[in-house]
Amino acid sequence: MMVFALLKKDFLIVKKYVLIMLLLVILIPPVMRWRTPEFTGVLGFILSVIFSVFMLLQYVSLKEYQFPKAAALLCATPFSRKAMVLSKYIFCMAVYVICCIVFKLETLMIPELGTADIKLFALMFLVTAGFIGLYLPVQYQLGYEKTKIAFMVVIMASPIILPLLLRMEGFHLDFLSMVSPYVISGGIVLLGAVFLSVSAFLSMRIYAKADLA
Amino acid sequence: MNDILTVSGLNKSYGDFSLQDVTFSLPEGCITGFIGVNGAGKTTTLRTILGLTAKSSGNIRFFGRDFEQNERQIKDRIGIVLGDGCFYEELTLSEMKSIIASAYSSWSEQDFKRYMELFSLDPKQKINTLSKGMRMKYALALALSHHAELLIMDEPTSGLDPLVRSQLLKTLVEYMKNGGKGVFFSTHITSDLDKIADTLIMIDNGRIVFQEDKDALLDTYRIVKGDSRSLTAEIRKLFSAISETEFGFTGITKNVSEVRSYLPDVLTERPSIEDIMLGNVGGAA
Repeated sequence: MMVFALLKKDFLIVKKYVLIMLLLVILIPPVMRWRTPEFTGVLGFILSVIFSVFMLLQYVSLKEYQFPKAAALLCATPFSRKAMVLSKYIFCMAVYVICCIVFKLETLMIPELGTADIKLFALMFLVTAGFIGLYLPVQYQLGYEKTKIAFMVVIMASPIILPLLLRMEGFHLDFLSMVSPYVISGGIVLLGAVFLSVSAFLSMRIYAKADLA
Repeated sequence: MNDILTVSGLNKSYGDFSLQDVTFSLPEGCITGFIGVNGAGKTTTLRTILGLTAKSSGNIRFFGRDFEQNERQIKDRIGIVLGDGCFYEELTLSEMKSIIASAYSSWSEQDFKRYMELFSLDPKQKINTLSKGMRMKYALALALSHHAELLIMDEPTSGLDPLVRSQLLKTLVEYMKNGGKGVFFSTHITSDLDKIADTLIMIDNGRIVFQEDKDALLDTYRIVKGDSRSLTAEIRKLFSAISETEFGFTGITKNVSEVRSYLPDVLTERPSIEDIMLGNVGGAA
């Protein structure tokens, strides 16, 4: 329950950005489909997840950075530091789930956007898990400012890098069609979950030793 | 009388500052003032005993139970006021309350509403629109709405006008009357402690200087005024601090009878807590 109270806190402190991000999540896939039809709307979905998770997490981190004593106050209450860390991970995954729901609804309404199947969602889960799994421990260790600069460069480069990656020769995953999609998806989700668990464990260890303002 | 907080051998090092063997206890039923000049180690001590910063060594027990082993249960029984800027300022009072309230097992919405009305606070107001005094009242309302047995506050009266400080002190006295087991608050505004404190703990340069009952402490020390020419090296040793002008000296001592035996004609006055605090950091009496 405590984790969900803290999750609510994360959404509350970025409440004025949530609607804007939701609008972006809705608009990015059809806009990408319009601008780069060869990639259907799937690329848009990938970008919408990356942008929304990254931007909202950045806003949360910014607010925590602006009001460091607030986190100290919460840690002086029965909220545990573990719960404080876990809520950040759940926050990111909640944003990811919302993106999936929005894209699924969009593909039902606009079939040209492509297929929103379980493999795509599983793959995107792995990407999201990879991103926040790296980002959060680094941020807990280095702090908001230093981490922001490093990851901002990576994110800003993603619209350029991603299409290039997709155009790469030999970038074929056709062999996966031989395997049951449920097995593939299950494996990918499991991999992501393991990565997230290890990352959360590391973040908790780092935050447990942090001196709070 | 049981101790509700016992700190023993607490050590914590920063680059150029350290808490050294900090040891004290808070008796039940008392308002305890934690005094010291800026940078003496008050906030570091409070943060360390609340687990906000890791200690190097030492033992902390609340209500007779080890803090590390029972952190969550202990925090559930403590009310915290951390001073200015400890909220997400863009939230409304109601939103911030909804977050804090979920942390406590015995949150009382009724008590919270009562304090909000008492302090004339509007739940729909944003925190960043509150004055410093209103923020302090709000922090107090949050800290007192979950049947806290011990209230810990870091510099609660700093920067507040006399009226708000008076209201705050009155609230603390009422809290104790209504079943609170103790209040522990740090301050460098010692006049507040003259009014309500039962016990005083002084820290200077990371070390505890004394822990005394306030009235006993005030009875122990005396301000002494006399002619500087009568001060010998032996007499000077009897004073905690001495300041001298061309008109004479003013010193603070707890060896009143000895000083009188050497200097029977000197004037003596009862000191304030501030006089005692400054006397113990080597400042002017």
